[in-house]
Amino acid sequence: MTQALPSTMLAAVSMGEKFVAMWPEAFLFITTCVVMVLGLSKSLPVRRMCAPLAGVGLIGAGLIAAAMTPDTLCPLPSMAMYGKVLAAGIGLVLVCLLAGTVDRDFESDVERTGWFDVIRSKRAEFWAFFLFSLTGLMLTAGADDLILLFLALELTSLPTYVMVAISTRRDRSMEAGVKYFFLGALGAAMFLYGFAFIYGGTGHTGLQDIQREVRAQVDAGGINELTMLGLVLAVVGICFKIAAVPMHFYTPDVYQGSSASMAGYLAFVPKAAGFFAIMLVVSCAGWGFGESRAELPGMLRDVLWIIAVLTMTVGNVLALLQSSVKRILAYSSIAHSGYMLVGVIAGPGLDGRGGEFTRNGLAAVLFYLLSYGVMTVGAFAVLACLERRSRDGEIEEADHVADIRGLCKTHPVLGWIMVVSVVGLLGLPPLLGFFGKLPLFTSAISAGEIPLVVILAINSAIAAYYYLRLAYLCYIDPPETSPNLAPLRATPFGSRRVAGMLSAIGVVVLAVVGGKLADATVTAGRYIPPAGQTQQPERAADDDAPTPEHVVAPH
Amino acid sequence: MVGATLPISIVELLLSGAIAQSGHDAAGHAAAAASHAAPAAGSLGAVTGTLPQWTLLIPFLPLLGCVLCGVCAVLKIRNKLPALITVACLAGAFAATVGAYMQTVGGSGGGGGGGHHAQAAVVKAWDWISFHWRDNPSPSAAPDFVANFSFYVDSLTCLWMLFVTGLATLIGLYASEYMAGDLKTAGYARFYAAFCLFVFSMACLVMGDNLLLLYLGWEGVGLCSYLLIGYFYKKPSAVAAAKKAFIMNRIGDFGLSMGLMLTYVQFGTVEYAKLFPMVQGYLDLAQHGKMSEIPWMVQVIPVLFTLGAFGKSAQLPLYVWLPDAMEGPTPVSALIHAATMVTAGVYLVARFFPLYLCSEWALPIVAWGGALTALLAATIGMAQFDIKRIMAYSTVSQLGFMFAGLGVLGAVGGASHVFTHAFFKAMLFLSCGAVMHGFAGQLDLRKLSGVAWMPGWKIVTLAMFVGCLNLAGFPFITAGFWSKDMIIGDAMGNHGLQAIGWILLFTAGLTAYYTFRVFFRVFAGPVEYHPGDEVHAHADDHGHDHGHGEHAKGDETHDGSESRHASEHFHPHAPGWAINIVLLTLAIASFLIIPLVHPFGKAENTGDGHGHAAAFWSATMVGSSTAGVEPPHAEHAKFLGMTAHEGAMYASIAVGLLGIAVAFVLHYVGRRTAAVSKADAIRLGGVQTAAQHKWYVDELYHFLIVMPLRVLSHIFHAFDKLIVDGLVNLLGWMPRGAGHTVRRTQSGVMHDYALRMAGGVALIVLAIWFLNTPAGDGDDGDAQPPPAAHASVERAEGVEGVRP
Repeated sequence: MTQALPSTMLAAVSMGEKFVAMWPEAFLFITTCVVMVLGLSKSLPVRRMCAPLAGVGLIGAGLIAAAMTPDTLCPLPSMAMYGKVLAAGIGLVLVCLLAGTVDRDFESDVERTGWFDVIRSKRAEFWAFFLFSLTGLMLTAGADDLILLFLALELTSLPTYVMVAISTRRDRSMEAGVKYFFLGALGAAMFLYGFAFIYGGTGHTGLQDIQREVRAQVDAGGINELTMLGLVLAVVGICFKIAAVPMHFYTPDVYQGSSASMAGYLAFVPKAAGFFAIMLVVSCAGWGFGESRAELPGMLRDVLWIIAVLTMTVGNVLALLQSSVKRILAYSSIAHSGYMLVGVIAGPGLDGRGGEFTRNGLAAVLFYLLSYGVMTVGAFAVLACLERRSRDGEIEEADHVADIRGLCKTHPVLGWIMVVSVVGLLGLPPLLGFFGKLPLFTSAISAGEIPLVVILAINSAIAAYYYLRLAYLCYIDPPETSPNLAPLRATPFGSRRVAGMLSAIGVVVLAVVGGKLADATVTAGRYIPPAGQTQQPERAADDDAPTPEHVVAPH
Repeated sequence: MVGATLPISIVELLLSGAIAQSGHDAAGHAAAAASHAAPAAGSLGAVTGTLPQWTLLIPFLPLLGCVLCGVCAVLKIRNKLPALITVACLAGAFAATVGAYMQTVGGSGGGGGGGHHAQAAVVKAWDWISFHWRDNPSPSAAPDFVANFSFYVDSLTCLWMLFVTGLATLIGLYASEYMAGDLKTAGYARFYAAFCLFVFSMACLVMGDNLLLLYLGWEGVGLCSYLLIGYFYKKPSAVAAAKKAFIMNRIGDFGLSMGLMLTYVQFGTVEYAKLFPMVQGYLDLAQHGKMSEIPWMVQVIPVLFTLGAFGKSAQLPLYVWLPDAMEGPTPVSALIHAATMVTAGVYLVARFFPLYLCSEWALPIVAWGGALTALLAATIGMAQFDIKRIMAYSTVSQLGFMFAGLGVLGAVGGASHVFTHAFFKAMLFLSCGAVMHGFAGQLDLRKLSGVAWMPGWKIVTLAMFVGCLNLAGFPFITAGFWSKDMIIGDAMGNHGLQAIGWILLFTAGLTAYYTFRVFFRVFAGPVEYHPGDEVHAHADDHGHDHGHGEHAKGDETHDGSESRHASEHFHPHAPGWAINIVLLTLAIASFLIIPLVHPFGKAENTGDGHGHAAAFWSATMVGSSTAGVEPPHAEHAKFLGMTAHEGAMYASIAVGLLGIAVAFVLHYVGRRTAAVSKADAIRLGGVQTAAQHKWYVDELYHFLIVMPLRVLSHIFHAFDKLIVDGLVNLLGWMPRGAGHTVRRTQSGVMHDYALRMAGGVALIVLAIWFLNTPAGDGDDGDAQPPPAAHASVERAEGVEGVRP
C-alpha cells in the first residue's frame, strides 16, 4: 500500500481542479434539467424550445470545455478538452438532425384535439436523454478513474437504449431498443468485469496510479496476469460501444430498427465514447513496450490486432451484400471502428516524434472520429430527409437502395450531400475522409505495423465497392418510380437538411482548413508515460529522458 | 533513409498541399543544399536586391480579374463588364511591371555601360511547399524541399513581363470588340476569365523563383490555351485542335517534369537563387573546356528542358499543334499563340542558359531544331491559303529563329527577337482578326482582295503593312529586321554552326515572300470580297474552312466590275474604335522599340563577332540576368569577308528585299481577280501539293504513332477483357462469397447474438492465451505478432498473481 499514499495526496490536492474540469458537464446537466421540464409544457411554443435550448447548452458546454486546462491525473491529459469540444460540435449537428424524431403524429393529434396528454408525449425525455448521453460522452473523455469511466460510459449508453426504442412508432424500434439494451448490458458486464480485474491486479482505480503500478510490475518482471486479463476484458467489453468484432452483431439490426436520425446519432456518440474509453484503458498499460519502446504490451496488442483486422474485414465484407442503406452504413460503421483501432495500436509514437500528426496514432484516431462523425451524420441526414407515407399511415423513411436512386436529379441538394459523404467515407483525396485515413496509415507505418497497413489498404479497396455503389445510385442511375410505393418527398423538418448540408460542407471545408484541427488532435493525442521510464537503459542512452514538456507538440 | 520514413515523406508531400502547414523557416536551407556539393560558388543568379511587396500585383491582379470574371459569369452579367475588369486589372499589372522594371534596372537600362548589372530580387507571397523527410527531422532544421510562392525578378523577367502584360492589356481591349458577338451568351465572361487566368499563369511561369512554380505556370498556360482554343466548343474542329494542343504539350511537359525532378536530384533545390550559384561551378568547368568533368546528369537536364520548350514553343517535332490552334478566337491566337505563351520555351532556355552551356548536346539540339523548324514552317507557310494559318506557320518559323539564336550562343538575339516578334506578330494577327471579323470569317486569300481601298480599313491596312515589313525584315526601319539580323549574324559568326546561318538566311527570304504574298493579295489589288460562312452564325462558329462555298455565291469570278461581293445582303463591317486604337498603338510601338534592339553604331565598333555585347537596351536586359553569362570563347568566323554581323546584315537586306520583290511580281503585278495571280502559272507539281498539305507531317505522325498505339490498345484491351477482368471479377467475387458465409451469423435473434459475443470473447482470450504460452504451439497463424512483442509478457509468466 505504500504506492497508494502519494496518489491519494495528489488526488486531494487536485480535488478543486477536478470540479473545474467538470464545468462543461455541469452546464450541460443544468440545461438537461431545464429541457426536461420545458418539454412537458402544455404550450407548443415552449415545448418547441427543447431542441434550440439543447443547442444552446451544447454551445455553452463546448465554449467552457475549450477554455479548460489539461488534466494532469490522466495519461492522456489533453484528450478531455478535445473530446468535449468534439462532442459539443457534432452534438450541435445532431440536434439539427434529430429534430422531429419523436412526437410528430402526437403533435398533430394535440393540434386536432386540443388536449395535451403528458403521458404520451416523448419530447421531454427524448431531448433530456439526448443531452444526458452527450454529458456522458463528455465525462468519458475527461475520465481519469476507472469508476468514473464506467459511470460515464453507462451514462452515455443507457439513454440511447430508450431513444432507440422511441425513435419511431414501429415495433421494429422496440425490438431494436430491447436488443440493444440486453446486448449492451452484456457488454457493460464484460468491461466492468475487466475493470474489476484491473483493480484486482493493481490495487488502484485512478488511471495514473494504475499506469504507475503497471510500470512497477514491468520493472519487477512482468505485468500481473490479473491486470492483463482485466485490460483484455475491458477492451473487448468496450468493443460493444464501438461496434467491433465480436461485439458488433447488434449494429445493423439496431441501426435499421431506429429512425435514420437516431442511427446517425448511434454511429457517432457511443463510438466516440468507446474510443475515448479504449484509449484511456490502453494508456494505463502504455505504449512503452516492444523493441522500439513504442508498442503496447504484447498481449494487448495481439487482442487489438485481431479485433481490428476482423472488425474491418467483417464490416466491409458484409456491407457488400446489403440492400438497405442503413445496414450498409451500419456495416461501414463497424469497418471504420476497425480502421480506428489501427491508430490505437500504433500509439503516440516514439516520444521524440510524438509531436507529428503523421506519426501519432492517437491523434489520428481523434481526427478520424471527427471526420467519421461528420461524414456519417451527413449520410444518415439524407435518409432522414426523405420520407413517404406507407400504406398503414405511418411515416416511413428512405432506406432501401432503390430509394436513393437518381437522388441527384430528384433532390439535388440531398443527392450531393450523399455523394460527398460516401465519397468522403471512402477516403478519396480531396475530401476529409482521406485526411482522416492518411495519418492512420502513416502512424501505423511509423510503428512498423506493415501487415496491418496492408490489410487496412485492402479493406479500403473492398469498401470502395459499396461506397461507390451508393454514389453511383445517387449520381448516375436514373430515378426509379415504383408503382407499389408512394414517391419519396422531402421531410418538413428543414433542420435535418441543414444538418446534412453542414456535414457536406464540413467534409469539404475541414479538409482544406484542417491544419489547425490536425494540430489540435496532436495536442489532444499527447501521451504521458509513467514516471519510472528511466529504468529502461536503452532509452536513457539514446536521448535524455523525455519530460512531459518534451512530448508536447511543437505547435 | 530508413525504409519506413520514405512513404511518410510522400504523404507529407500530399499533406502539405492540402492541409496548410505552418511554414518552416526557409533560411538556412543552404545547409541541405551544400550536401549536394557544388564545385564552387558564384554570384550567378544570386539575389542582390529587394523589391517592394506591390510587385506581387503583377501576378495577382490578373488572378483577381479571373475571379471577378468568374463572378460575372455566375451572376449572368451580359454586358462588357468582364472586358472592363480585365483591361483594368491587366493595365494595373502592366503598371506594376513598369514599376518593378524601374526598381530593378533603374534608369540605366537604355544607355548604361555593358558592365552594369541590374539587381535581382525575390518577392515572397507565401510559403507554399516546405517539408523534411530525412531522419531526425527536428522542426528547426532546414527543410529538405522548399518551393515558395515567391517571385524572382531580374531584368530577364522584366523583359518578358513588360510585353506580356502590355500586350495582354491591348489585346484584352481589342477582344472587347472582337468578342462582342458573344455578349449575349455566357461565353464572354468565360473568355475573359480564361484570358486573365492565362496572364496569371504566364506571370507564374516567368516570375516564379523556383522550377516548381514555373512548372505550375507552364501547366496553367497549357490549360488556358486548351480552354481558349476550344472556346467554340460546339465546333468539332475546335475541340480536336484543343485536344491536339494539349496532348502535344503533354509530351513536352513530360520532358520538363523529368528535368525538374533531375534538377532536384542533382542540385538538391529547385530555387533559382540557390540553383544558379551551384551551376556556376559547372559553368567554370565548361568555360575551361573541361566538358568531360561535368556529370552526365547535369548535361541531360537541359536536354529534357529542351523537350519541354519544344513542346510549348511548337518546334520540330512537336510543332503541329500550333497551326491547328488557330481555331481559337483571334485575340487568343495573337496573345497566346503568337506573342506570349509560345515564347515560354524560349524563356526557359534563356533562363537556364548557364545550364545549357554546361551541356555538350543541349545547345546544338536547340540550334538545329530551331533552324530546321524555321525552314520547314516557312515552306509550308508559302503554300497555304488561309491567312491566319500562314501567320501561324510564320510564328512557328520565327520561334525557330529564336531557338536557333539561343542555340548559336546568341541569347541576346534570341530574346530580342522574342520581344520584337511579340509586337509585330500580335499586330499581324490582330489585323487578320479584324479582316476575319469584318468579312464574316473569311480568311482565304483567294477570296479577298483590295481591302486597303475599302472605306474604314485604313488603320488595319497600315498595321498590317507595318507588321509585314517587320516580319519580312525590311531593312533599317523595322525592329524585326534588327533582331533577326542579330540571330543570323550570331549564327554566321559561330564557327561550328555556320550552316545554320545559311538556313536561316534562306528562310528569311522565304519569309519575306510569303508575308508580302498575303499583303499584296488581301490588301492590295482589285477590290473583291466573298464573305465567310459566318454570315448568319457569327457567334457560334468562327469557322474559316475554305472548303465551304455555299455562302460565297460568287465563286465564279466576275471580271472587271468593281465591288463584286458575293452576297447582296452582305456588307463588310469595318473595325470600331477599340480595334483601331489597339492596332494603331501597336504600329507606333513597333517603331518605338527599334532603338531598344538596335545594335548598330555600337556593335561594329567592338570589332569582334559578339559586337552586340555592347550596351543597347535588350542586351543589357539579357546581359544582367542569368542568361548573361559569357559563353565559352570560340573563334569567330568571318562572313563575306567582313565581321559576321556586318556581312549577315547586308546579306539579309538583299534576301529580304528579294523576297518582297518576288511577292510583288507574282501576286500584285497584273492581278485582276482575288483568286488568280501569276504565281498560279508556276507549276511545282508534287512539291507544291505536298507543301500545301504541310508535308504530310500530320499523316506521318498518325501513321507512326497513332496507328501503332491503336493496334496496341486493341491488344491490351483484349488482354484486359479476358485476363485482367477475369482476375478482378474473381477477386470481387471473393469478398462477396465471404460475405454470404458470414451473413448467416446475422440471424437477428438476440440470444444468438449474445451467445456469439460471449463465444467471441472466449475465443479471443483463448487465442491470446495460446499465442503467448512460451511453447507457442497454439498459434493459429492469423495474428503472428513480432517476437519482440512477447518479451514483456513472457516475463509475466510465473510472477505470482494478486498484489493487494
